[in-house]
Amino acid sequence: MKPFLLSHPDTMYNCSQVYCSHSLAHTSYPCGDPYFGSSIVAYGTQAITQQMVPQMLGLASTRIALPVELAEDGPIYVNAKQYHGILRRRQSRAKLKAQNKLIKSRKPYLHESRHRHALKRVRGTGGRFLSAKQLQQFNAELVTDAHSGPGPVNVYQKKDASEAESHPSRTGKNASITFTAISGLTSMSGNSVSFRRPEHNFLGNSPNIGGSSQCSGGLTFGGGARQCTSVGR
Amino acid sequence: MSDAPASPCGGGGGGSHESGEHSPRSNFREQDRFLPIANISRIMKKALPPNGKIAKDAKETVQECVSEFISFVTSEASDKCQREKRKTINGDDLLWAMTTLGFEEYIDPLKVYLAAYREGDSKGSAKGGDASAKRDVYQSPNGQVAHQGSFSQGVNYTNS
Repeated sequence: MKPFLLSHPDTMYNCSQVYCSHSLAHTSYPCGDPYFGSSIVAYGTQAITQQMVPQMLGLASTRIALPVELAEDGPIYVNAKQYHGILRRRQSRAKLKAQNKLIKSRKPYLHESRHRHALKRVRGTGGRFLSAKQLQQFNAELVTDAHSGPGPVNVYQKKDASEAESHPSRTGKNASITFTAISGLTSMSGNSVSFRRPEHNFLGNSPNIGGSSQCSGGLTFGGGARQCTSVGR
Repeated sequence: MSDAPASPCGGGGGGSHESGEHSPRSNFREQDRFLPIANISRIMKKALPPNGKIAKDAKETVQECVSEFISFVTSEASDKCQREKRKTINGDDLLWAMTTLGFEEYIDPLKVYLAAYREGDSKGSAKGGDASAKRDVYQSPNGQVAHQGSFSQGVNYTNS
């Protein structure tokens, strides 16, 4: 079945048809009858085809002006061979727009479950996800640091205590240590329950805040935070 | 085989998805009308140096352009099939549509890809099929890049 019979003649379509007839130096028949409209369409198509043949035989770079009604600033010239196709695509898009099926705004993600899974994953330095192997190495290094001398142990405990505070002040070196502590806490099974609960509340309120809390360790330096944010999206 | 899904997306696909909830329809709508953006990103990255990066809006713009280009060529081939009372669009119809729309320079490379795809299909190997499908997908962005001027102009016209 022909698409012209399926599609009902709307204002844009009539304007396009009238303009085509006018540009081809033919008399226009303003009529809303589907059957007669179809006849006009067939005649217009044939006329366009006949008109395009000598142009194609002549110059390959010939341009035809598209209908002016749709353009805000003057006509746009296109390849003569693509003229009819462009008009057809415009009608298809107009039909979809009338049915309200065009995509207006994009979602940051397609699947909710995958998004939540990504938020739970552990991130290493630079904001990239840690694979299972890297996670094991990371935990091993953490245990090694824990078994070092009494001085570093005290520093670690002090940082852990400072982490409990709401707004701890940090320098570059301490920031990296704190980031390690946060990852360690996240990976531990015992503490993960108590630590993830408020994080889940953040996720419930706003995904962006959840992403920010996920990268809280990296907020002290701009580059890391930027990468975390971009990866989260 | 790969041509059949493209045709329903152009016309009938939109109608059949009229019913449904808002969220599933929204997800399905984007997946239905656009190519997967990850595949497009990988193809775009092949043309960049190893340390090159692509902005998200650039990926989305190219995604919309290549999706529109597919619909553009497919609708031309669909018109030809309807005139000839046929229901299936095959590779030769797409080659004819490319010629009609002024993309003659791509006919020779596309014929090579089509022949390779058909050879792979006759073998029946799954790996060969995937490779052929990948090369088949590679056609559209290639066409889009070369004719970016005239096609982007059309896109701008739609936006204005």
